[in-house]
Amino acid sequence: MGAIRVDGLQKSYGSVEAVAGMEFTVERGELYGFLGPNGAGKTTTIRTLTGQVRPDAGTVRVLETDPATEPLETRRKVGILPEQGSPPSFLTPREYLEFVGEVRDLSADRVADQTAAWAERLGFESKLETLHTDLSRGQQQKVMITQAFIHEPDVVFIDEPLANLDPLVQEQVKRFLVSYAAGDNAVFVSTHNIDVAEEICTRVGIVADGQLVTERSLDDGADEGEGSLLELFLERVEAEETRDTPTLEHLGS
Amino acid sequence: MTGSVTSDRTDAGGGLSTRRLLAVLFREEWRMHTQLFGGWRFALFPLVIAALAVSGTVALLETGTAQGTIVGGLHALAVAFGLYSGTAGFAGSDMLENVFGRLSLLLSSSQTLPLSRRRLLGVFLLKDALFYGVAFVLPMALSSAALTGLSAATPVAVGLFWLSLCLVFAAGMATTVGLIAIRTRGVPPWAIGLAVGLAVVGIWATGSLGAVQSVLVPGRGSAITAGGLAIGTIVVATVSLAVYDPTYGRPSRTATDRFAWLSGALPFENAPLVTKSLLDLARSSGGVWKPFVSASILLALVAALVGVVDSITGIAPAPGIFFGGVLGLSAFTTYNWLTQFDSLEAYLAYPVSIADVFRAKRIAFIFVGAPTVAVPYLAAVIWFEATLLDAVVGAILLAGYALYYYGLTVYIAGFDPNEFLFDAVRFATFTVGVAVALVPTLVAGFVVVPPSIELAAALSVGGVVMGVIGVVLSSRAGPRWERRYRRE
Repeated sequence: MGAIRVDGLQKSYGSVEAVAGMEFTVERGELYGFLGPNGAGKTTTIRTLTGQVRPDAGTVRVLETDPATEPLETRRKVGILPEQGSPPSFLTPREYLEFVGEVRDLSADRVADQTAAWAERLGFESKLETLHTDLSRGQQQKVMITQAFIHEPDVVFIDEPLANLDPLVQEQVKRFLVSYAAGDNAVFVSTHNIDVAEEICTRVGIVADGQLVTERSLDDGADEGEGSLLELFLERVEAEETRDTPTLEHLGS
Repeated sequence: MTGSVTSDRTDAGGGLSTRRLLAVLFREEWRMHTQLFGGWRFALFPLVIAALAVSGTVALLETGTAQGTIVGGLHALAVAFGLYSGTAGFAGSDMLENVFGRLSLLLSSSQTLPLSRRRLLGVFLLKDALFYGVAFVLPMALSSAALTGLSAATPVAVGLFWLSLCLVFAAGMATTVGLIAIRTRGVPPWAIGLAVGLAVVGIWATGSLGAVQSVLVPGRGSAITAGGLAIGTIVVATVSLAVYDPTYGRPSRTATDRFAWLSGALPFENAPLVTKSLLDLARSSGGVWKPFVSASILLALVAALVGVVDSITGIAPAPGIFFGGVLGLSAFTTYNWLTQFDSLEAYLAYPVSIADVFRAKRIAFIFVGAPTVAVPYLAAVIWFEATLLDAVVGAILLAGYALYYYGLTVYIAGFDPNEFLFDAVRFATFTVGVAVALVPTLVAGFVVVPPSIELAAALSVGGVVMGVIGVVLSSRAGPRWERRYRRE
């Protein structure tokens, strides 16, 4: 049984078909990259896998829970780093992580230990008492990364993990994600950054127009004769992009 | 952009002309509201305002209310609405960035484009004044037709009444913007609050209330007074924009850990969610005083209205029943403050249900709302010398109606109480819901003074029933909005 199993997933918003028959499986130990252009259905897929929206059709299993019918059980087991960043909040990072810990039924000691460890790892110790709303976007992202991992979940969903982070912290986060997945966990990363996906993911799925158009394994043993991930991405997505995106000539005219 | 880009540029090289900037801001405002509520629901909103204003005026006239009282009340509403609309001047503060920033791309474009933030704010506020002047104040002015009766002169009368209302609306806006501009120069909020409080006390103590009332109803005063108010408003607005410091940035704030202590002290299953709401409210601009100030403004407006009615007709209502019924309306503003810096979607990243979030908001509402209405209510019943029976009945009405208005707001508006103010269908539903409870109560409060035992018993039962309805509505709001959010 995979950590994440998606079969025939469909989700529409009015007349817009955001996800149209998505199918894939992610196993424990995998760092799965979910690549696609804007509007391809990546965020809707994550929202469906975490029980935030109900699918129109298809079956989804995450750690043997059904996010459609038992969303709280799913969210209890997984970690989520949403795309839109954190909402404005007047809690400090320490208080916010205490809030997350209480909501997730973690002991105060464990939250304190995790907070200290993550603050040191990502370098926000000096900001633990600053109001969240007064933090820079990068600092807010560090706090949000911490909340996604604070309960050491077996599966983590991450939408753009490196957004707003400086290069040094990006390297730390990339290394951490690789090691976390290697520890028999599944990390599901949605990103536009193909270089990052190629660098850290064990497997990627390329999505366009709400469907998974191809997958590629990026393990060391993968076929080196294949083209780069960027070439594959462009090849599979370019036709859709060319149709939807105006060219410079179009803009000029 | 069209091919007329060149003609849109100012000679001074300042980019878009003010006229063009105004047009673009208007377009964004229209699209924002039609996107949020659907085109016709927003387009119908002025009609709802007009219907309410005209029907309310007719009802008041039929019940013997003096024309002067109605005119004064409409101007008081216009001033209050202007004071509220001026809060758009909070550019750069957490309030504006959080409330408007995500919706108004243009307002934040001064950060990325060569547009002066001061100029952009000025045009933004001008747009607001014109937009609300037409979409909201003009429908209010139609009540003039009900006051004077239909005749060939009605259009002129409505037009003049509109100008009068617009003038005080703009004065209200300019006042708020002026206070915000002072704030951007580093004057602490408490000092501004103190100055405003002293000014109000000074007006009252020197017996100048009548003079202020005459200034704030320009249509009834002399042309010189109206002209003075217009010039004063322009001067205040211009000076405010000059004083406004667009580079003002609040220093980074820190806080000691209160979360664990407070959450541990609250004996509720959803204590962390309640605690987050309370701390967010306490630490945002204005702190826990915001709901109290909102309730106090409501109290002051109603008290002034009672005074005017008393002085004209010689009829004073039973203060307990009257203020108990009206002050319950502050449930809307209190809930609005509790959700101002929150996002329901954000909670979906945690293992909590939307129903849990709404339950926590209800607990937070009771914590904040109870003292918020209790203090002004006590002040009112003491000041207006309510009888014991009247005060007790009013307290029951206050508690029951506050819960009812809260439940009504949450059920209709979910987590976005501010937005439904511009949705014709939801606003009309809310208004009818409020009127069902409030109108009979106010009538009873005016007709039987002091209240008889029978009336007191009937109103008390009514208050309890409405409170129960409110609890039921707020309990059902969670599942209702959970279905909606997960479906969308």
